[in-house]
Amino acid sequence: MASDTFAERHRLPLLSRIVVATLIALVVAVPLLGGPLAGSAAGLSPYMANIIGQIATFALLALALDLVWGYGGILSLGHGLFFAAGGYLIAMHMLKAGYVFGGVTPDLMTFMGWSELPVHWAFFESFPYALLMIVLVPGLLAFLYGYVSFRSRVSGVYFAIITQALTYVAMLMMFRNDTGFGGNNGMTGFTTLLGQDIGGHAMVVGLASASVLALLVAFIGCSALLRSPFGKLLVAIRDDEARLRFLGYDTLWPKLAAWCLSGILAAIAGALYVPQVGIINPRLLSPELSIEIAVWVALGGRGALSGAVIGAAIISALKFWLTGFVPEAWPFILALVVLVVVTLLPNGLLDLKPQVLWRGRRSGKRGMIE
Amino acid sequence: MARRRVDFGHLLVSFILLCAASLPALAQDRGTIIAEICSGDFGAQQSALGQLAAAGMSEDSSDATWARRIVEAFEGRELRCGNGVALITTEDGAVQAASMEPSDVDAETLAPPSVNLRLRATAASAAAILRLFIEEDAANRLSAANYIDRRREAATAPILSAALERENDAEVRAVLSTLRASLLLEDPDPANRIAAVEAIAQDATLRNRTTIAEAMRDESDADVLAAGDAAIASIDRMLQVGKILSTLYSGASYASVLFLAALGLAIIFGLMGVINLAQGELIMVGAYAAWFTQEAIRTALPALLDYYLIIAIPISFMAAALVGLLMEVIVIRRLYDRPLMTLLATWAISLLLINTVRVTIGSQNLEFHQPYYVSGGFPLVGDFIMTSNRLFAIVVAICACVTVVVLLRRSLFGMNIRAVTQNRAMAGAAGIDTRRTDMMAFSLGSGLAGLAGLALSPLYNVNPGMGTGFIVDSFMVVVLGGVGSLIGAALAAIGIGQINVIVEPIYGAVAAKVFVLLLVIVFIQWRPEGLFAPKGRR
Repeated sequence: MASDTFAERHRLPLLSRIVVATLIALVVAVPLLGGPLAGSAAGLSPYMANIIGQIATFALLALALDLVWGYGGILSLGHGLFFAAGGYLIAMHMLKAGYVFGGVTPDLMTFMGWSELPVHWAFFESFPYALLMIVLVPGLLAFLYGYVSFRSRVSGVYFAIITQALTYVAMLMMFRNDTGFGGNNGMTGFTTLLGQDIGGHAMVVGLASASVLALLVAFIGCSALLRSPFGKLLVAIRDDEARLRFLGYDTLWPKLAAWCLSGILAAIAGALYVPQVGIINPRLLSPELSIEIAVWVALGGRGALSGAVIGAAIISALKFWLTGFVPEAWPFILALVVLVVVTLLPNGLLDLKPQVLWRGRRSGKRGMIE
Repeated sequence: MARRRVDFGHLLVSFILLCAASLPALAQDRGTIIAEICSGDFGAQQSALGQLAAAGMSEDSSDATWARRIVEAFEGRELRCGNGVALITTEDGAVQAASMEPSDVDAETLAPPSVNLRLRATAASAAAILRLFIEEDAANRLSAANYIDRRREAATAPILSAALERENDAEVRAVLSTLRASLLLEDPDPANRIAAVEAIAQDATLRNRTTIAEAMRDESDADVLAAGDAAIASIDRMLQVGKILSTLYSGASYASVLFLAALGLAIIFGLMGVINLAQGELIMVGAYAAWFTQEAIRTALPALLDYYLIIAIPISFMAAALVGLLMEVIVIRRLYDRPLMTLLATWAISLLLINTVRVTIGSQNLEFHQPYYVSGGFPLVGDFIMTSNRLFAIVVAICACVTVVVLLRRSLFGMNIRAVTQNRAMAGAAGIDTRRTDMMAFSLGSGLAGLAGLALSPLYNVNPGMGTGFIVDSFMVVVLGGVGSLIGAALAAIGIGQINVIVEPIYGAVAAKVFVLLLVIVFIQWRPEGLFAPKGRR
């Protein structure tokens, strides 16, 4: 759908600047307040640092989805697949490293009665190898699925539902014990990461800082990418793919590139998330979580990276806060938020501000991005 | 429900006549039997008990009742004989054994006939056989049949054949058939044994195969062995056929539920390009509506309880259609130009529905009364039983399919739907109220999901989360079948249903899902528009 206001919003960096400034502040503040100043009045408890770190990984995940949905018009209801892939890979590294260097037998070996870890765990004790896999495996997954789908021009609702089906099937497979990923129980009992105690104060603050830093880098990097000709091409594909093809562009590769980049970013988010929560199991692959990611983006506002980050931060902070004392009310709140956003605020929370800023410039509903 | 099978008793009739040279008809003279049982001669007493057991076969049901009285009196030593009279002592004085008339003879002067261990066993066996003929309650007959299985002293093949002919309870029949088969296989004459093997092989069940195989282990006669091998081979063939049929059948029943769910999805998607992620929850609404109907009937009109599934057909449909109507009016119609947002919106609605039901009714599985027409089944070939609950789902699906076809092809509403699906702008220009058509079609699609919920309530667990698994499979049906195509949806549902049940027993349920998904992804490469896409769509 054509979007007149979109380009203007993109040139309007106010919100982006606020987000970048906040993230820079956090990158400085989290290690400082969580580390040397932890005991002081302004200090950050490890618990708060951990929550900030988790929210940063969610924001990175939302950013990854916004890249393809907001800018490429490709809705994925299966980004939990890449997130979980990153999480499983880092979990495999931590367990394997703990087993090889620390002599800690992983629970799943005891549980399955294995004397050795299966073949696909080979080399995972090496951190660089694990990092490489975190980029390669989700990237390859995204490439394979993206290639077959985009080549046959599967898009829109079809594409979205099939990503959901893929994630659902992956969840069913991971629930099985014999696939060698811990089955129903998943993986837990991590001891160390890079030689540091996983539960230690330094590690918690370090991971949180790393998450915020990763988010900042991804945000700046993606913003730059979207300002480049590639970004323009992506937006053009979203708005009228057929026309672009008639103009002689090959739309397959730009879409595929954005899709793979998005998958890899989501995997990095997962790899940062799992050491912070200390467990991964197949429930991370449930369709609910994947749809929730889309809800973050829809709430924050598609088509602006800052919107995705803000949406993810708001909803996950709300979730942390509410599930603390009214866990059964959370699904109702989430559902109502979604309904209000989709019916009243087509561009999410960004609609609240622009209505003031750009009053009179909007023409009907043409500002909506699908 | 009368369970009528091609009775192996009928097939056996000639054989029974052949081997039952001394068909033990009830002795016309009850007195003779009484005299024999009082005689104290072991042989005569055995034969009398045999005749008493055979009294169950008599056309006159009072014979069986009388015989049972005598056998039980004999067993309980209440039968007293002497001086040419036989009495049964009761609390209200003695009665004459032959006529059950009161008697003024003093029972104390008479002695009970001698009962040794073997006679006692025969008497117990005979009493159980008579219970088989007299008891009204199937559970009592089943316990009698199981008792005879252990104490076979008075049991003969003809008596069991007669009992089988009258029996209509499946479990009792199964016990009796096996029992009779093993009795026949113990016949001393090899010709009779061959005939027995052949007769048994007519009813190809795993149980009969085991019976024959066990008899053949102790068999020495070459002809009988050959007949046994042939019989086992023929049973195996039938079992194979039965197995294939039963797989196809359960595939067909899964396909019917899938079809009902996907049909609504396909109509809505074809018309508005909207995928309703709450379709699974509308299935749940339909099932819960059926349950509420059942509970309402249970309190208001208990006599009609057996028919609640029929009464619930319109109710389940209307309940789901109403929920769909509300969804359309409140949310979906605002989102027609943003189909991706409808995914999120319908997902949110599904979340609301699941959690509302969970909070108000609870997350336990609902208990459904199983009326006679959805319990049991019709045994056809081998071990293949055409179970009624699956048949119910198939029948509902076929009826719904026919109704929808007629509705779409013959009614004005159907014509509107087809017109709007083909070209929304032109249909609007021709004066069709497209928004109203959307609304009605959305309700229709939702109502069909409600019917799916009703159809699967006798088959699957009904709980708030039951719908979540269906959306993926239903959507696969829509993708495979082609948007807005009834035939396509039907064929795709059958295909996916069959793949699921064929792959599942071999590689497990997960593999079945993976297989279907990969198949669909590959299929889209080849025909992105589905099997039967209407021409000129969008």
